[in-house]
Amino acid sequence: MTEDDFITLVRDELGLPLANDELDSELDGVVSWDSLHILRLVAAVERETSRRIPIGRLLADRSLRAIYDRVNAAVAA
Amino acid sequence: MTTVDDAPAVAAPPAGPLDRLRKLRAEGRLAAQYRTVASLLAELAHGENALTDLARAGQLLSRLDPDEAVRETAAAGSPVDTITVAITGHSTLGNLTAPLTAELARHGIVLRPRLSDFDAYLRDLQDTGSLLYTSGADLALVVLDPQMIFDELPKPWLVEDLERAAAAKLAQLDALATRYVEHGTGTLVLNTVPLLRAHTHQLVDLASRNRLAIAWRELNIGLLRLASTHSRVAVLDLEPLIAAGGPVTEPRMASYAKTYLGDELLARYAREVAHLARTLRAQAKKVLVLDADNTLWDGVLGDDGPDGIAAATTFRGEAFGQFQTVVKQLGSQGVLLAVASKNDQDNVLQVLREHPDMVLREADLARVNANWSPKDGNLRDIADKLNLGVDSFVFVDDSPFECGLVAASLPGVAVVRLDEEPALHIEKLLADGWFDVRELTAEDRARTALYRTEAARQDLLDSAGSMEEYLGQLGVVVTVARVTEGQVARVAQLTLRTNQFNLTTQRLQPADLRARLDDPAYLVLSIRSADRFGDNGVVGAVFARRAGDGLHVENMLLSCRVFARGIEQATIATVLAQARAEGLAAVHASYRPTAKNKGVRGFYPSVGFATAAETAAMDGGELRFVHDLAELPAVPAHLHLDTELERPPS
Repeated sequence: MTEDDFITLVRDELGLPLANDELDSELDGVVSWDSLHILRLVAAVERETSRRIPIGRLLADRSLRAIYDRVNAAVAA
Repeated sequence: MTTVDDAPAVAAPPAGPLDRLRKLRAEGRLAAQYRTVASLLAELAHGENALTDLARAGQLLSRLDPDEAVRETAAAGSPVDTITVAITGHSTLGNLTAPLTAELARHGIVLRPRLSDFDAYLRDLQDTGSLLYTSGADLALVVLDPQMIFDELPKPWLVEDLERAAAAKLAQLDALATRYVEHGTGTLVLNTVPLLRAHTHQLVDLASRNRLAIAWRELNIGLLRLASTHSRVAVLDLEPLIAAGGPVTEPRMASYAKTYLGDELLARYAREVAHLARTLRAQAKKVLVLDADNTLWDGVLGDDGPDGIAAATTFRGEAFGQFQTVVKQLGSQGVLLAVASKNDQDNVLQVLREHPDMVLREADLARVNANWSPKDGNLRDIADKLNLGVDSFVFVDDSPFECGLVAASLPGVAVVRLDEEPALHIEKLLADGWFDVRELTAEDRARTALYRTEAARQDLLDSAGSMEEYLGQLGVVVTVARVTEGQVARVAQLTLRTNQFNLTTQRLQPADLRARLDDPAYLVLSIRSADRFGDNGVVGAVFARRAGDGLHVENMLLSCRVFARGIEQATIATVLAQARAEGLAAVHASYRPTAKNKGVRGFYPSVGFATAAETAAMDGGELRFVHDLAELPAVPAHLHLDTELERPPS
């Protein structure tokens, strides 16, 4: 999954108006982010990739980049 | 000569409905275009990933300010309808807002969500200062999940603990429902609660597991019974929604987010809630219009001939026969059935009368429009003939062209798009509860027959020399009587469904009606009518209240089937005579305009009322009338009037 795919998914699934460079922002700084968003995002990635992603560890991540890296690692595994 | 080089470039495929929604939002036109949204969502609802796509669309829509949508659509001429829904429960319910926004937007209704805190449902129901009571919510959703029981068990637990906890929870919810009905103003919506394998298999002995299963069913049965023991309580049964597929819960969402019901289940729940909202607003559809070729039967009548089509005996034929059986089932419950088919009328009628495969027969159909005109025009024609608005129609066709035409030309019509797989016809037809009503009455069950006798009346009218001659031959008998207990459901339903001859369009739920029946100041009358073609049953009602300055008619309404036969004049003559007999000073009445009742604006003046006041158009443009009872109108000579106005001795 490319960075662009990931950003598009975040926009589509969560309806968040996210700029491309916000992949590196802290989550607290991203517009109206809440903790349910991570879970919904993972559910969407799983639907798209048919791969299961370990959520428990993701919840501690502080940036979309970190989430993206974990997601990619899980999808590539 | 055309070469490959100068062939036109292939046009980009048209943007899908989700992209068009995103574009509307990006351009800031979502609020003003809220009505377009419904047709985009209708397209999504036909798609393969309908529930997911609708939730995504709902996500977009839920970021729109409802007031902005109302303001901008009002500026464009017709403000959208809104509904306030309070949402509380045991679980995290943030995921419900998006699908609920989308499902309501499909019906052109903007959601004003009032989301309570996590696990606040008991406090919310108990505290009359909570948002369930103070938000003015039309619907109060209390979303129940299995964890509400399991969280209350000792750790570890025995099946006896669960039996006690389930019984106590039911009693508690019963008491809280009573409290809501007493202090709340909307409809309380509860649901049955799924039982998961992760619960049953915490018990290792089969006997205990069996007892758990029984206690759980008793909880759910008890919950379902709350809907019949309390007015304004609805209980959505999750079992059929769960059976439709998708996980009941996502264990990781449950563990990390305390979201105990899965997204797909919540999406299905949201759809039911939206139809419940329509039901409460009396926006249920009344007419099911069906295509014939490849919808009711396998094959094309014009090409294959009557012997070449099938609705039985072949694999595909049987699937069509089963579809017809379900259509007939709907017809038996007051849904008017009609056919709109591109065929010769005589050929279709011949199939309906003679073809051995047909489950649906001519007598099941209120109208058969088989011709070669466009279908949108035929739907309008059927609406005219049945004297119903086309926005009370559901249209079913296997042709994407016809579905697209009707959707574009008549946006108020709900379109069910079938495809070439007849085994899926039934699921597609029933995917939405278009015809859901609170309660069925005897009149509903006989409705098709009523409309068919209407056709016989029309023939008499066509053959009669004049209206007077027609009415003279019709032999109308009218009975104006106090509403009895047995008529409550029917009279309430008339207030909810009648739009044209409805002077103030005051809608009454059965509980509102009973309150008036119990109040001695009220005169609540039903109007029955019959003629040589049969009994029409209860066709109208009058609600009036005695006060110091006379009798105030809150509302009068009459079914559109029986207009213009003198029944309305006979009824108002009865009311006026009764007021005079009781020694009242005058009769006051009013007309409140809506989009559909313009035809009765002049009714009261036509029967001798004087216009007393008119409010400004921006305040509703209500007209007030008064009758001084000096000169009473005559009962039309062509009809026979019976009255039963005495209050039964108490």
